[in-house]
Amino acid sequence: LFPGVRQAQWLTKTKLVEGLPPAVQGIMDNPAHGLQELEERAKRAVSHARLWDTAEVAPRREQYCPVLFENLIHICRLMSGKYPSLSKRMLARNCRIAATWERESILLQVRGLSGILMNSMTPIPPVASKEEILATKEHVLETFYPIAPTIDLQEVNVYKELNHTGQCFGDGYPYSHPHTLFFLESANVRTDRFRPEQLRAKMLMFAFGNALAKAKALHGNDPKVLEQPVVVQSIGTDGQLFQFMVFQLNTTDLVSNDGIKNLVWIDSDQSLYEKAQCVPEVKKRVVTKPAGIFGFQPDTFKKFLALYLHGTV
Amino acid sequence: MAALGARRLLRPGRRWFSETLPGGPSPAASPLYPPVVASLTAKSKAAKSRRLQRFNQRVHAAATVEEKLRLYGKLQRPKYTVYPQTFALNADRWYRSFTKTVFVPGMPPRAAAAKPPAAAAGTTPEGGRAPEPGAEAPGAAEAPEVAKTVEPAAGAAPYLDMGELRSLACDALLQESFYQKKKRPFLYRDQDHTPGPFLTQLVSTLAALLSGRNPLLAASSLDLYPEVNYYWHHGEETVVHGHRKGRVDPVRFQIDDNPHLQIRVPKQLPEVVPLESDLGDVPVIDHKPSKLPLFKKQYENKVFIGSKVADPCCYGHTQFHLLPDKLKRERFIKERLEDQIEVVYRSNGIASLFAWTAAQAMYQGFWSEADVTRPFVSQAVVTDGKYFAFFCYQLNTLALTAETIKNNPRKNICWGTDSKPLYDVVEDGNVKGFNDEVLLQLVHFLLNRPKEL
Repeated sequence: LFPGVRQAQWLTKTKLVEGLPPAVQGIMDNPAHGLQELEERAKRAVSHARLWDTAEVAPRREQYCPVLFENLIHICRLMSGKYPSLSKRMLARNCRIAATWERESILLQVRGLSGILMNSMTPIPPVASKEEILATKEHVLETFYPIAPTIDLQEVNVYKELNHTGQCFGDGYPYSHPHTLFFLESANVRTDRFRPEQLRAKMLMFAFGNALAKAKALHGNDPKVLEQPVVVQSIGTDGQLFQFMVFQLNTTDLVSNDGIKNLVWIDSDQSLYEKAQCVPEVKKRVVTKPAGIFGFQPDTFKKFLALYLHGTV
Repeated sequence: MAALGARRLLRPGRRWFSETLPGGPSPAASPLYPPVVASLTAKSKAAKSRRLQRFNQRVHAAATVEEKLRLYGKLQRPKYTVYPQTFALNADRWYRSFTKTVFVPGMPPRAAAAKPPAAAAGTTPEGGRAPEPGAEAPGAAEAPEVAKTVEPAAGAAPYLDMGELRSLACDALLQESFYQKKKRPFLYRDQDHTPGPFLTQLVSTLAALLSGRNPLLAASSLDLYPEVNYYWHHGEETVVHGHRKGRVDPVRFQIDDNPHLQIRVPKQLPEVVPLESDLGDVPVIDHKPSKLPLFKKQYENKVFIGSKVADPCCYGHTQFHLLPDKLKRERFIKERLEDQIEVVYRSNGIASLFAWTAAQAMYQGFWSEADVTRPFVSQAVVTDGKYFAFFCYQLNTLALTAETIKNNPRKNICWGTDSKPLYDVVEDGNVKGFNDEVLLQLVHFLLNRPKEL
């Protein structure tokens, strides 16, 4: 109903910052990582996913969205030839997330399949400085009076409050820090897919859920301000548009409305390419548009790679 | 007499002029009559061979590879579908005869030569590091501390750090089987539950780690669940029933394969042995293919390596196949067919690799009338999650049709190993009985590259 991110912000007691955090921008701008040469590879990855992957004329979204994601992750993973510590990451598919918290006497819970999760052995260092965190004290959360903030949420009788990172991983798992969540909207029918705004809200909720579960695992169940904020990233796409998000959990004290808030940086609606022409467009016997990828934006791929490298580089 | 009758018909009402002009004879160079060739539409052997020649010329003259492939597979007729993963008894012998392949047990010599440096180097750095975790049980907690890359110099003989690779493999295995809590596997879908994700994780992390050593991997393309198809003719038969009864037809085969994972690269792998080498015999089977059992179907004749012709990564590097639940070892042991276990791995390796290399060759413009001028080499790993078998295939000839096979001395060659277990059992967060050789062979496969790189 509402612009979903605003509602999600209230539910998770978060302050929104537009654009990506300076740490990630720094990785992008650093020429030492050789991001220019990867442009060609990224373009080829997009062409493969959108044009060449199938024996039919054009692949459908259910096919090309996961293939595009796999190709991009493959390019990112190949960077571990250069940075060996990147190999300390593990992808986990189909893991279930469950996290519970209280928000002004309303008990909220996030549950469900959270897409693809990438875990790493080392946590991401906090992105915001201490001053920024303290500054969030003054920030007032947007309320939606008279609409209750829990609108459109499913009310369920919960008998067990679960708080595991996806309930997924047992003890002693070496890759225990959730690094990035990936969401692929690959339904063929447009109405089955999430709209960008809703996708961003979903990303925020799941990132928050993962961060909260990790924080509770590290520091216990009592609500308090975290000394070491937990950072979880999130990338969502429908095969063409990308949403990037970095979430920093500063506090698990979510009951009250004031005090230190959590922070989220969102970079929304970054398109990787304009159009993918599978068959050349011919008007009146003249080829107006040859087959290929049009309007490729290398910056979007650079952001993807920067978020992947974040925390290790 | 036909001639007399024709003249009688000609006479009434027809003026018959003789056409000799006084202006000299016609130029002597050009023939008076067009060339006398067999008919195109008659039901005769000469007409059939002329039609065949015209078809071959059309395919030779095709402008692009896509056009060539389209013409090659244009005519749809019932064909045998060959399944690489099959429970048929002694299927690998049949498949070798269909594809004119020689099977050589063991790995090709260049892979053996590359092993000693890594093995020798494997012992020296590990002696230097303190508690060698004992190849069996790295355990998830110990692995991070011990796995430090010891590389004195990335020079001529870079040492392979087996500890790190082993810990990676064990981590992938433990994550999929032990740490990640999954629901129960679906009925008869055990392979999708644990071994499938394990294989994906293992290959993707190993390939990424080794891409620093192998620049070919750094430019590679990884496909998940790709499709590989190939269509070819081999041998002849007479049509048994129907309106085409009695005609001599080539025996058509089609392979439609779905490997679990494949790596495609932009440069070709080097040849293992020269093009004309003869390393063994191809089995000759006198029965019809339907005795295998193999069944006929008529549908689109596809030739596909995993992506279209326009893709720059048009050569194959390695394929990974996962055997389904139907073909698991326990089932064969229960039915007292232990010797067929290896047959399953071999037939999968031979058929899939033949289809892949032949499709790669067709993408380069070669076909049965225009035989390959350089050998095409690809590798495959067939596994059921625990047991791994390695195969390397060299395609030397595509000419398998009845006419082209007569004067063709070349044979395709497939090297393959028996299936060996990677580990014994996974218990309580520990991998017991980890087999380093299997991992080393896998790493060598991934490090394979042309000599220039």
